[in-house]
Amino acid sequence: MLFKPLDLSTALRPSLLPDETLLFVQDAVGLYEGKYKIPHYQDGHAYLTSHRVCYVAVEEPRTHSVAIDLRDIDKTEYQAGFLKSSPKITVHPKPPKNSSGSKSTTLSRSQSPRVQSSGSIVKPSASALVNATWICPICTFSNPIPSNFDPSTATATNIPPCLACGIKPPFTTVLKAAIAAAAASHEGTSINSAPQGGGPDTAQSLVSCPRCTFVNHPSLHECEICGASLSSLLEAPSSQQHRAESPAPLIQLQGSIKNTEISGNIRLSFRGGGEKTFYERLKGALVQRKWLLYNAPPVPQQPSPTTALPTNGLVSPPVRSPAPGIAGLEQRGLEARRNNEVVIGNAFEDLEALMASAKQIVTLAETLARESGMGDENSSEASAVLSESAAALGMVTTKDMLSSGSENLYLSELSRNLAEHLTDDTKGILQKEGGIISLIDLWALFNRSRNGVELVSPADFQKAAELWESLRLPVRLRRFKSGLLVVQRYGWSDEKTIQQLQDWLQELQQTPPAKPTPWDWRQFGHAITAQEAAQRFKWSVGVAAEELEMAEDRGILCREEGVEGLRFWGNHITSHDLDSSISNLVI
Amino acid sequence: MSNSTSFQFPPTYSFPPFFTPQPNSSTRLSQLQKWSSLIQSWCRHHRTYRLSLVEAIESPLFHNSTLRKRIPLSEARNILDWMAESEEKGGGGRRAEWIDGANKTMVWIWWRRPEEWAGILADWIENTGQKNVVLTVYELVEGEATMSQEWHGMDVDVMMKSLSVLVKRGKAQVFGNEGQEGVKFF
Repeated sequence: MLFKPLDLSTALRPSLLPDETLLFVQDAVGLYEGKYKIPHYQDGHAYLTSHRVCYVAVEEPRTHSVAIDLRDIDKTEYQAGFLKSSPKITVHPKPPKNSSGSKSTTLSRSQSPRVQSSGSIVKPSASALVNATWICPICTFSNPIPSNFDPSTATATNIPPCLACGIKPPFTTVLKAAIAAAAASHEGTSINSAPQGGGPDTAQSLVSCPRCTFVNHPSLHECEICGASLSSLLEAPSSQQHRAESPAPLIQLQGSIKNTEISGNIRLSFRGGGEKTFYERLKGALVQRKWLLYNAPPVPQQPSPTTALPTNGLVSPPVRSPAPGIAGLEQRGLEARRNNEVVIGNAFEDLEALMASAKQIVTLAETLARESGMGDENSSEASAVLSESAAALGMVTTKDMLSSGSENLYLSELSRNLAEHLTDDTKGILQKEGGIISLIDLWALFNRSRNGVELVSPADFQKAAELWESLRLPVRLRRFKSGLLVVQRYGWSDEKTIQQLQDWLQELQQTPPAKPTPWDWRQFGHAITAQEAAQRFKWSVGVAAEELEMAEDRGILCREEGVEGLRFWGNHITSHDLDSSISNLVI
Repeated sequence: MSNSTSFQFPPTYSFPPFFTPQPNSSTRLSQLQKWSSLIQSWCRHHRTYRLSLVEAIESPLFHNSTLRKRIPLSEARNILDWMAESEEKGGGGRRAEWIDGANKTMVWIWWRRPEEWAGILADWIENTGQKNVVLTVYELVEGEATMSQEWHGMDVDVMMKSLSVLVKRGKAQVFGNEGQEGVKFF
């Protein structure tokens, strides 16, 4: 397995790949290789995404951050905390593809006193689905799920019918069964390994069926009662309980651990809790295998008359008939509509299913939006909103992603999240607002981008914004005299604003007014209002008013209250060029 | 107030924010100083010693008709209050004084303080060799001999105040009934 270098975003979080979603974050995590602590990687954030496990150290995050691809992970193990040893999650790497199974076993044995790596015995993909059955909703017969069934790429049309009654099951039933079975098989492993560590004799003799709990004879490969496969449980004794010594010795490493080939297992030590959720989500991510989706083609393609029919997963080949002419086109249209119906129907049937087919739905929605708003200006906006919402599905930190009680972690993650959201050049929120935006506006914008799900409370939002300073993020929170809170880039200062204002005032002294003024415009220029300033600098009016008052406070501007409202002028009351002319008048 | 047309207003007078009380304290200070100078030079130009506030806020002094801007009564009082304070107390150096106390409708504008007038008078007496000569106050104010002097046509009350300063310094003696005072300089 390889420690991959990790790209960090401006807010010092892992920058996600396209389609990658963030699943869980936990702080106070240490990294072990085998039994040895890895220096500099003992206090950091562990990010679980749909594609990777990322680790970012608190100290010097730019140099000390690594990622492990989930696709390189063979299996994972959970180990509860004991006395001074923190709970740990062990990640077993897949054996190298070119070397044989036995070779990898001996290799890993020489590295650590661990017995038999799972590589030679358990086939990772097969073991995940060995026990999978789905119950037919019509006749309640338990059907096996085909071994090549993949929850992420499977579609509604290619599921085999029930073996007993011949009726096709709903897609979601099979999908849920597959996920549940895969999760259960992992759990079964860890549960069963526990008693075997204590008393190997009794555990060897009896094997409890994971489905019906019947205790079978160890030599049986299938359950006597329900016929469920017991093979994965029989291999379970090979995985040994690891007893951690704490404090563990540090491993000696030369240079960076990035791109280092790790043959032993990696362990994540959870000193601040959160290990259970992390483990569950990790198992879920390993089962879903979202990284496969990365290269998968978008499913519901609209057939166009000029191109040949795409090899579409949803349209089953026998239905397609090579009808020529208009009839053929009509038939294709009909097929496409039916296809869309199936996709939409399946997706909204169940939340889990919706999550699994989110990509299809977004693609479909984009297609529909493109068609409905053809040539319209709204279409680009709408699709932008859609793609944004798709991105928002994965980008944001929600409370759900963090274990309960870790309020600080939530806030710091939210804070980083916000900083990323703000500094993202593709959205250009700060540029659009002239480099400054009030916190309330930002709160509204941010929550809108979350599509009304997992909204951030104003209190949390403010607390998160106050953390920017301490987290050294590239944005800062500023409080105006009136108490208005605004968000600015870190490098921005009052002096720069004043410079901008002065440049503007000078410009006004050079441009003749539209209509004659009773005052000398060459000397005094013109009045500026908050509205004009807002327009010129693309600030919001509230921010503009505050900035003008700030400049007034510094003696750069002075105010004029009249029937037209509050207007600001360059400060020609204190300026010295007039003093001389006045003092001539006085004696 | 006959020759008001010839009064040359300072440039700040046509600066619209000049008519709005400034919240910034340093700007406010300059504003008050400029108002004080303006009021003094205005009154000096028009030989005004006592200013009626009600009249003044309608006069061009406080009402800029080209800008259509005016100083309201309360703000005018604030300015004059500031002028009446001594410089030690952060005011304008007692360049104004309320005549009717708390009513604040009539005000002395001291473009020359009585002490200053007293000095000028004493210098004049010295230069014209009129020491130990008895003069009436009417003579001093309206007499032909003082036609060229700055205090000619001065408010009699101001003249009496100036003379009383000289009396305190022991340089003059005032006698006679009210309205017919005579003065002798030493």
